[in-house]
Amino acid sequence: MSSVPGPSREPPRYLSKAEAEAIEKELLEDYRFGRQQLIEIWGHACAVAVTKAFPLPSLPRKQPTVLVVCGPAQNGAIGLVCARHLRIFDYEPTIFYPKRSLDPLYRDFTTQCEKMDIPFLSYLPTEVQLINDAYNAVVDAVLGAEAELGEGRGPCAGILATLKHVRIPIVSLDVPSGWDVEAGSSGGISPDVLVSLMAPKQCARRFLGRQHFVAGRFVPYDVQKKFELNPPEYPGTECVVALSAPQ
Amino acid sequence: MLRTHRAVLEDPSGGSGPRAAPLRVGTRSPHACPRGGPSPAPHSPAPRAAGAERAGTQIAAVAKATASRVSMAAAGTAPTSAASGKAEAEAIEKELLEDYRFGRQQLIEIWGHACAVAVTKAFPLPSLPRKQPTVLVVCGPAQNGAIGLVCARHLRIFDYEPTIFYPKRSLDPLYRDFTTQCEKMDIPFLSYLPTEVQLINDAYNAVVDAVLGAEAELGEGRGPCAGILATLKHVRIPIVSLDVPSGWDVEAGSSGGISPDVLVSLMAPKQCARRFLGRQHFVAGRFVPYDVQKKFELNPPEYPGTECVVALSAPQ
Repeated sequence: MSSVPGPSREPPRYLSKAEAEAIEKELLEDYRFGRQQLIEIWGHACAVAVTKAFPLPSLPRKQPTVLVVCGPAQNGAIGLVCARHLRIFDYEPTIFYPKRSLDPLYRDFTTQCEKMDIPFLSYLPTEVQLINDAYNAVVDAVLGAEAELGEGRGPCAGILATLKHVRIPIVSLDVPSGWDVEAGSSGGISPDVLVSLMAPKQCARRFLGRQHFVAGRFVPYDVQKKFELNPPEYPGTECVVALSAPQ
Repeated sequence: MLRTHRAVLEDPSGGSGPRAAPLRVGTRSPHACPRGGPSPAPHSPAPRAAGAERAGTQIAAVAKATASRVSMAAAGTAPTSAASGKAEAEAIEKELLEDYRFGRQQLIEIWGHACAVAVTKAFPLPSLPRKQPTVLVVCGPAQNGAIGLVCARHLRIFDYEPTIFYPKRSLDPLYRDFTTQCEKMDIPFLSYLPTEVQLINDAYNAVVDAVLGAEAELGEGRGPCAGILATLKHVRIPIVSLDVPSGWDVEAGSSGGISPDVLVSLMAPKQCARRFLGRQHFVAGRFVPYDVQKKFELNPPEYPGTECVVALSAPQ
């Protein structure tokens, strides 16, 4: 399967919050995908996107360090799986996961990371220069599409305030944390890279960063048709693909 | 429902040239610990020792205790991997599930996806002899069959046209969910496997053998799956076996059983893979945590880039 653009394709559709939830519900209830399965698929795809956005030889620091900041819900769990795969891909992830979920599934994902010797920070330095100096990039897995409007101003506010001031690149998983899923940002973080899960969300229209990946290859064809996703072409066996560079 | 396709009178041996994993030499540097966090133990894997070069072997699996890396600079093939016995393979899986808290759903998804990627490497779409990229996936009743179901689903995603034969459907809800995922992707399920082998040869480019895995008891190949295996033994199209060629003893190997062209070892090769005489042997073990690799002395090969499978040695 070639990545060369063929006859003009419809651009991918950008989803509303309700549509994103409907697709996930259909995958879980009708298609009988499991959450563990989906989070593994998404986390792996996010890690692959990170390797494409920040190939090992291109990293500025001597050590291929990446900070992965995980929120309390599903987006955070995706971050955990992403961190695990980054370790497998020879990056050196460090996780900041302050509000550990009691959900046994998320606790298992946490154990998998701990057993792979991935360090977990006990606190996130408020002095941003410490983060800038230690890591090549930050993976933002704090809040996802399921986040309620205003959650960015709640318990995660402190983390997001710090992330807003980092000078190293940020990779946001699915939705830049703190952004409204549809309306986008109002003074929130500005990621360099966005990895949309399944399909882009409407807020991605306001994404101004360097690269926008979509990780939607696993979505069954009938779901793509039903929701008119117009997914891009994925070359070979790739699970993520970069959408055209934003202007 | 039997899918039939017009037989294409072409050389059925189409396939791309041999692929060997590129040799990358390097050691992992100790994990730097930024301020504010716990210090992890530094990772320094044992340096790989060069050993005598083996020529003419299809698969270089050596006993675990004396595993040594073969210098492959001239031949351009990947280093050797230790081969696991049945008890070891079970112990690794148990450790992943109980200590590392991997879930079965997660592992089967990882394995099935890796097997599908291996199939695309062994049989790239442009190389298939038949007009339609058909593949028959034969799934047994236990875990190996579930891996086959996930493999089939990914083959569909990769634009192949898998057809599944899954005669003994498991009651396990996990395996039933994997089955539903395939059904909802419009992958056809055969109601019976033709005993006339020519029908299979004509309709498909290859067969994925996901009938019995490493957990199978000795002699299971002569039990309920015997009929399937008897048919598979006579197909003339290539067979890709997942983890263990079905019907083979996990350690001793085959005694007149099927002869797969391609073997995809999960986690690490099993001892029976020493008797594998086919074209390509892949290992899908990238996800295995480093400490497990060390504990069981797996000596895994290098995986290029973000690849989840790698070919073990150049086919002849």
